[in-house]
Amino acid sequence: MEEKELIDKLRKEIIQQLNLEDMNPEDIDPDLALFGEGLGLDSIDALEIIVLLEKNYGIKIEDPKQGKTIFASIRVLANYILTHQKPQ
Amino acid sequence: MAYISGIGCISPQHTMDNEVFLEEAVNQQALFLQCIQPNSYKEFINPILSRRLSKIIKMGITSALISLKDAGIENPGAVITGTGLGCVEDTEKFLMTMLDNKETLLNPTNFMQSTYNTISSQIAIILKCFNYNSTYVHRGFSFESAVMDALDLMANGDADNALVGGIDELTENHFQITSLLGNCRQEAENNLELLHHPGKGTIPGEGSVFFTLTKEQQSSTYCELKGIKMHYKPANFFGVWIEIKQLLEEHNLTEEDIDLLVMGTNGNQETDIYYQQIHSSLFPNTSVASFKHLCGEYYTASAFGLLLAANILKRQTVPTVCQFKGDKPSNIRNIILYNHYAGDQHSVMLLSKC
Repeated sequence: MEEKELIDKLRKEIIQQLNLEDMNPEDIDPDLALFGEGLGLDSIDALEIIVLLEKNYGIKIEDPKQGKTIFASIRVLANYILTHQKPQ
Repeated sequence: MAYISGIGCISPQHTMDNEVFLEEAVNQQALFLQCIQPNSYKEFINPILSRRLSKIIKMGITSALISLKDAGIENPGAVITGTGLGCVEDTEKFLMTMLDNKETLLNPTNFMQSTYNTISSQIAIILKCFNYNSTYVHRGFSFESAVMDALDLMANGDADNALVGGIDELTENHFQITSLLGNCRQEAENNLELLHHPGKGTIPGEGSVFFTLTKEQQSSTYCELKGIKMHYKPANFFGVWIEIKQLLEEHNLTEEDIDLLVMGTNGNQETDIYYQQIHSSLFPNTSVASFKHLCGEYYTASAFGLLLAANILKRQTVPTVCQFKGDKPSNIRNIILYNHYAGDQHSVMLLSKC
């Protein structure tokens, strides 16, 4: 899967998983920070994304502290998936 | 005793606006009644927080905020909730995910919000209220236990006011399970016709009603809640008869002083017999108002009954859709609210005009 295609897929999945009402996939800038000043997600959302990664991409994040780096933005997350997802 | 000084309600009727009360009844042809949701919860709950909350939590927070606003109180002395099922939708989601994913990959949100006390807690968080906070889960006595706790708290001088709610939600899954017990009508029925067609079972429902109880009477006060009695599984109606007699005596009242009975008649002929016997033996000449054809039967439906009784005392008129037996009384001074859940948990409340 190409980076752009994965970014579009992730935007939809995150909106659905985190119930980001009134938000469309194109509203999320792939380079916007997911937490803090950017999209304003919190620690519970981080746990939800960890579950999403394992469920949809088979990627298990053993150390939640890693999340800070991996979840920096949608683009960073997409690249992490592309480099860590095991071939089907 | 305490005064009911604020009310907030989300129910299968249009009850969010306290300016009007049951002027137009909502008619549903249904197996169970569901609450009318507001167009948006944004007015009451921050969307960032709201996105994670299930229907029952949003309903609870919103009705609690409406009740406090109605009473002109910002931070209550206590938040006390009664619920029979709690956040059952989140509980179902969490359990279904456990089954589907073989006890792995569980979503934290559903887990955190599957507990019974989530509603009381979320209300306290939103209000930044650090006062007494409790949730009662006692099937058909859940709301009554919350009311008793609030009355005790105020009588002991531990609070000047308390936010007290009765809240339950009904899911399709829960309905399918409980209908196996035979307590529900098997065919979809017009709720407004329910009480005219007694039969086997009733129409289940749901709702969220919050009351702001105050120690002192104030301009927003609806009525006085003088006392409450509960009786678990009486051998027959006489157990309830004694409770009502005692409640009246404790307040130097007799049966003749009661101008209206508000009863939880629900169309189930097996259990409505209690209401008929109490009416004919104690109050044969007293008019009766009913409410479960409007909200359905659920563990905390007595909260909707209290909403009705309080509004009748304040407005001094019985909504036409609630008038069940006798003529509409004109001067309504005292009301007995009698409710039971499935013939097991019986409660009686005495309310008076202010």
